[in-house]
Amino acid sequence: MSLLKLEKVTQRFGGLVAVDNVSLEIKQGGITAIIGPNGAGKTTLFNAISGFRVPTEGRVIFDGDDITGLAPERAARRGLVRTFQLAQLFETLSVLENVKVGRHLHTSGGLISALTPWRARAIEAGVDRIAHGLLTRVGLAFQAETPASALPYGQKRLLEIARALAAEPKLLLLDEPAAGLNRNETSRLADLIRAIAAQGVTVLLIEHDMSFVMNIADRVAVLDFGKLIAEGTPAEVQKNKDVIAAYLGTMEAAHA
Amino acid sequence: MPELIAQSIASGIAIGCVYGLIGIGFCVIYNASGIVNFAQGAFVMLGGMITYIAISRFGLPLPVAAVISIVVVAAIGMVLERLVVRPLWDRKSTMFVMILATLAAQIVIERLTLLTAGDQPRTLPMFTDYPPLRITGIALSYQFFWIVGCSALVIAGLAWFFASTKTGKAMRACSINAEAAALQGIPVSRMLALSFALSAALGALAGVLVTPTQYTAFNVGVPFAISGFIAAIVGGFGRPLGALVGGILLGVAQSLAVVLLGAGFKNVAALSILLLFLFVRPTGVLGAAK
Amino acid sequence: MTWLTTIWAEARRAPVLALLWAAAAALVIYVFVSGGYLIAVLHFAAIYVVFVTGLNIFMGFAGQVSFGHNAFAAISGYASAVLTATHGWEPLPAAALGILGALLCALIVGYPTLRLRGHYLAMATLAIGLIVYEVAVQWQSVTQGYMGISGIPPLGIGRFTVTSDRAILIFLIIIAALGVVAAAGIRHSRLGRAFVAIAGSEDAARALGIDVARYKLAAFLISAFYAAIAGSLFVHAVGFVSPEVYGLHMVVLAFTMLYVGGIGTVAGATLGALVIGILPETVRRFSEYQDLAYGALLILILIYAPGGLASLSSLSTRKKKEDA
Repeated sequence: MSLLKLEKVTQRFGGLVAVDNVSLEIKQGGITAIIGPNGAGKTTLFNAISGFRVPTEGRVIFDGDDITGLAPERAARRGLVRTFQLAQLFETLSVLENVKVGRHLHTSGGLISALTPWRARAIEAGVDRIAHGLLTRVGLAFQAETPASALPYGQKRLLEIARALAAEPKLLLLDEPAAGLNRNETSRLADLIRAIAAQGVTVLLIEHDMSFVMNIADRVAVLDFGKLIAEGTPAEVQKNKDVIAAYLGTMEAAHA
Repeated sequence: MPELIAQSIASGIAIGCVYGLIGIGFCVIYNASGIVNFAQGAFVMLGGMITYIAISRFGLPLPVAAVISIVVVAAIGMVLERLVVRPLWDRKSTMFVMILATLAAQIVIERLTLLTAGDQPRTLPMFTDYPPLRITGIALSYQFFWIVGCSALVIAGLAWFFASTKTGKAMRACSINAEAAALQGIPVSRMLALSFALSAALGALAGVLVTPTQYTAFNVGVPFAISGFIAAIVGGFGRPLGALVGGILLGVAQSLAVVLLGAGFKNVAALSILLLFLFVRPTGVLGAAK
Repeated sequence: MTWLTTIWAEARRAPVLALLWAAAAALVIYVFVSGGYLIAVLHFAAIYVVFVTGLNIFMGFAGQVSFGHNAFAAISGYASAVLTATHGWEPLPAAALGILGALLCALIVGYPTLRLRGHYLAMATLAIGLIVYEVAVQWQSVTQGYMGISGIPPLGIGRFTVTSDRAILIFLIIIAALGVVAAAGIRHSRLGRAFVAIAGSEDAARALGIDVARYKLAAFLISAFYAAIAGSLFVHAVGFVSPEVYGLHMVVLAFTMLYVGGIGTVAGATLGALVIGILPETVRRFSEYQDLAYGALLILILIYAPGGLASLSSLSTRKKKEDA
């Protein structure tokens, strides 16, 4: 059963074609990786999927519904949550509060409950509990009260994932989650993503790090100059001539 | 009635050129740094005030007084940049903080002027004291020609400056990409100071040109700043020529509003135009420069 | 009683701040007991606490910009003044109508304005404030223009009026306290989290399902509500209104208070309003030196202490963490 279906998605900026006629099907469950050289259009594709840009052409079908051009907050409501290439944390909030924001979709309460906090106590306790649980899952429980701005980079990326998980996504879009992480952090991240997928969340991620991708992805799609040039299991894609040509040596480097 | 309208259009064009000069001042600083200088109006006020003081207290002839005033105000602009803007720039303050600081600076300059020069409105003599020319039934004072003429000269001068001189090109480089400019050896902070000096000079010139037709006082700064800002927005923020066009459009619209709706609508008309453009077409009539 | 222990813990963490609070409280008590002109100063400070607390919700929590909230104070204030002084209405219904009118204007204006960012938003809100000022000046048949409206009756319900200075002060302190508590409640709620998220990163907030446009409008309306209340309170506490009351002076004063206290925190906004409200003793005379001082002070704070007084406590906690 396909969770996400991209039908001929195209994104043009004036004369520049950033995403060119991409058709892709992501089945429910598992980890799919989108790879490609710099500037291949991967983040632009994410923007088109998640509603941050309206695709110039094509359709985005999520869980059976056409969500092409739907605003990001509405897409999130349906279970499509994304993270960002440059971590977009709420810097003035604590680590715990960042995750609590992630619970927004699954809680309710506006001005009235803000003015009558005793009535919202049970809900807030639940939010607090879940947020703590998520922090423990990603290994950041000890940083709960730290301001998000004070975290080292690797932990910031983990916080972003914890926060995204708080929104209970069906499909989690991770934009270069391993960027800037050292070897240790990268392997912990791989374990985390595998655990997330094992719990039923479908993961779609963009990455550069070849060994990371080959390690955790069930399926790989390759973008080059906005076009989808290959798709398949990691092993298949590795041997694909066009992919090798596009990367020109990066594959060899990954195996060295 | 048509003569009245034509007359008001003419006066609208004149005041519009003044607004345009102020607006160009906004653009110069904005292009060099991304800052919106809320103290721009203070330069206009000081231009008229200092000229008046030079004439009345020191007995200098008008042209000399005007030139001195412009130079002094340019210097004040650099002082403002050094004392208020630079520290914030170095501390990487947010844009809003810098805008707020320039607004506070406007108030400080205003109040200092009030304390030193009093609250009496002052005016300057007309540049050439002849009766107005009558062209097809419209009376055009010589001041009108001075204003329009000077504005045209200024535009031409600025165009030449930015296109042909080394400093001008350096300033343009800074506005396009400050980092790259710095790497090329362009002293970005000096360009910033220069942009403030230039902008202040433009404001002062506007003040000198307009004061003979109305008056100057310690608190005329803010209304002029707003008019200049509207001119810049209407023309497309960042484009000097656009600011002039915007200023003229604003001046004419304002004049017509006064004639057709009443004097009380002068500021409301201007502010409504600002809101209209911000809501509907923030990139202005000509479209944004960048 | 846990809040007592929390307050004590906070006081130990930031002794300078605690001292300021204690001094402010002591001053209020002293003025209350001894009476006199200073009570009017406290009226002014309390009203500004309301205004600034509301502004802090929009600018501190949600991270937006408004140079024009004085417009909403003016709309409500003038409605209160005109309805009670000129048309003999009871103060409470007049204020209610004024606040409603201000909210309606905020709603109409909010939709297009809040789509703007940065200096465009700043300028649009400034324009709104200036337009209302102009209307107050020009619509002489209703507002008496520069002359203003005097003889505004004090607040009250039916025969029970709040006339003595001390009674007014108690009333204003209660309103201000309610406003502050409400703001604190908002900050620690789902609503407040959404506001702060928007300030942190609009994109991330949207990615998590927060309808940013709607929440910005909510923050705008809530802060306009506070501003409107402050506007009406002013005319009844002072008995007089003129366009200058809600002019640019109010904008600069409010920002000085906000930044002295520390933008973003409820305590900061309150402290700033109290400090700046009480510090100079002249209130109704918008004296020349006063504005000059505020302007210069604001510049210095923006350069050297942009976090305001409230940042004193976080500074000391950070130091302790580094020493540990």
